[in-house]
Amino acid sequence: MKRSYSVAIILVIALILLGIFAIASAQKPAQAQTSEANIVKIGLPMPLSGPASPWGLIPTPFREAWIEVFNREGFDVAGKNYKLKLIQVDDQNSSEGGAAAAKQLIYGDGCKFFAGHWSWNFPAVAAVTNPAKVIFVTRTGNQALPKSWGGLYDPKTMPYVVFGSPSEEIFIANVFALVKKFPESKQLGMLDCTLGAGAGWDQVFDVLKKAGIKYHMERFPLGTTDFAPYITRFREAGCKVVYIAGWVGETMQFAKQRWEMGYKDMVVGSSGPFVNIDMYNTVCGHDAAQGLIGQYWAPWDYKKTKVNPKYIAMCREALKIAAQKTGKPYEYTGEIGWVPSHTLILVQAMQKAGTVTDTDAIMKAIRGGTFDTTAGKWTMSGAKTYGSPVVFGSPSALCEIKGDKEVYLTEDPTPPLL
Amino acid sequence: MPPAGIWIDGLIQSCIYMTMAFGMVLVFSILGILNWTHGQFYMLGAFVVYYGIAAAGMPLPVSMLISAVLIGGLGMLVEKFIIERLTGPGYGPLYVTVATLALIFFFEGASGMLFGALDKGLATVLPGVLDLGSFSVSYQKIAVIIFTLIVMVAMYVVLNFTKVGLAIRAAAQDPVAASLHGISVGQVSLIVMGIGCGLAAMAGGIMAPVYVINPFMGRTPMIMSLLAIIIGGIGSLTGAIVGSIILGFLNSVIAYRLSYISELVLFLLVIIILLVRPQGLFGASRK
Repeated sequence: MKRSYSVAIILVIALILLGIFAIASAQKPAQAQTSEANIVKIGLPMPLSGPASPWGLIPTPFREAWIEVFNREGFDVAGKNYKLKLIQVDDQNSSEGGAAAAKQLIYGDGCKFFAGHWSWNFPAVAAVTNPAKVIFVTRTGNQALPKSWGGLYDPKTMPYVVFGSPSEEIFIANVFALVKKFPESKQLGMLDCTLGAGAGWDQVFDVLKKAGIKYHMERFPLGTTDFAPYITRFREAGCKVVYIAGWVGETMQFAKQRWEMGYKDMVVGSSGPFVNIDMYNTVCGHDAAQGLIGQYWAPWDYKKTKVNPKYIAMCREALKIAAQKTGKPYEYTGEIGWVPSHTLILVQAMQKAGTVTDTDAIMKAIRGGTFDTTAGKWTMSGAKTYGSPVVFGSPSALCEIKGDKEVYLTEDPTPPLL
Repeated sequence: MPPAGIWIDGLIQSCIYMTMAFGMVLVFSILGILNWTHGQFYMLGAFVVYYGIAAAGMPLPVSMLISAVLIGGLGMLVEKFIIERLTGPGYGPLYVTVATLALIFFFEGASGMLFGALDKGLATVLPGVLDLGSFSVSYQKIAVIIFTLIVMVAMYVVLNFTKVGLAIRAAAQDPVAASLHGISVGQVSLIVMGIGCGLAAMAGGIMAPVYVINPFMGRTPMIMSLLAIIIGGIGSLTGAIVGSIILGFLNSVIAYRLSYISELVLFLLVIIILLVRPQGLFGASRK
């Protein structure tokens, strides 16, 4: 009796909750119709939960601030002024999560454009966006590579995919920069999680072999915290430089442990931007964190890549707003080449096409088009390699930790894709 | 032969798994359940120690004791309000398994919301290294070895020379007979859960200066501790210790020899042990 009573109570609560959700959902379209006529929605499937969530959560204050700064002027298309609205949905950095997030953004929120995407679920998201004719601005790397390189990108079946950030090409350019910077290393050490194996790495190995660069690759199982065996193997292979593929916690632990093991001259780099310098100093220890190398996205320090001063000022303003809103210094510049750059590609393509809704016309403007963004002014390339000129250019800059700051180290424009 | 640094590393790995595995076996031997949330108590312990040191300026040992009390208390609450209810009439071990699995995501999600997305660290606690010529070991890792020794001795004393220890051993051997002799098995379960979770919290606390602190840091130690108790024999405290030592050294040496294939070898080994000796090295046979 008591048990059936409990079950009944639970059922009643569940029904009440369902009712609340139903009412809330029913009110949503009405709001959209009245206030969102001049708003272009940009969907962003991002990891907001799980181990990859820092990549989704940490840049969020800057992303939101960038949209706020951008919307002060908005943008004009066919004589009408528009504003951007960024809608983030958790993709859990998984295929299932990516597909679900894409469906929510397209069919629930009405997005015709995705930008800022970097997760590992490119094929799953592209499988949802392409049939819906939604323009999906993402990055290269992992499976997001042409079929000739072993990837899954096919310009015929994925005509609405745009590679706004050439991550694979940036990675290769960074590797060359490190080899040039540290010629004394017998061979370059490279480290990634076992999950990262695939077309992206095969392409890196291919390029290095063609260039005659010796390398030693190690992979660690997901969840590894003890890197002593890998550090020892790198040491025995004569690697004075170890480049780690974008794993933040693992990079910090590797740097700390190599220092503790006495291999203080082993240079450690990571293919991601530094999240927060204070974090690296507190996790690795101040001494072990010094000289740690990461990607650099602060355009005001670039010496080779010219970035429009207007966009530099906007980025700095957005960083200030992010700091005000979070109530503490906000230093993460890694997002500058992502959402701001991707949204500027989309906006300028809409202006060229004279429409904010006809994604076929907008894609026509994107292919082979030149766009001025926070990552510089570049022309879409990749006609021969990717099968369609939809790959944007990028600076490939590196920085190192000095004291409690990230300091510009090297910069090479990413070679154009022929 | 792997270099000396790899053997030292193996010893440290063994110590990490040992404290965790010991707590898991203790809970299993009395409650008859595998607490899948054990890794999250380890993670919460690390966060308590982090804030104890970084925000309140407490010394590491004090922070660890506070962490053991707080997280041990949280474990007791979980036992009282979730596990005890789900092991009652009409329920079974599957309910507890599902509940403790659900708690993994609850504690990880809640920690992410409470403590933020940035990784945390305590590199300034016990800084420096002991130089041993061809290699060096950090004082933080030496502290892990000393801590494990202290915990193992303390647990030996508690289990063998105190009334609580006697009650725990009695309840583990035969709960019905123990209750007929006036031992409240319910209270013993509560105490054991508190001790088990407290041990996990202290293990997390001693590891806080060594590794990165984040809401997901408990997953790997939990899996490795589970492997250790399977190798040693589920329910055997001696097995937990020996299993942890074997696993720690294997993990380090195999990773040094075979790189990432170490994971495949370790899990294959566990399957072979389960097939050849299902009760583990020190577990009692079911026959």
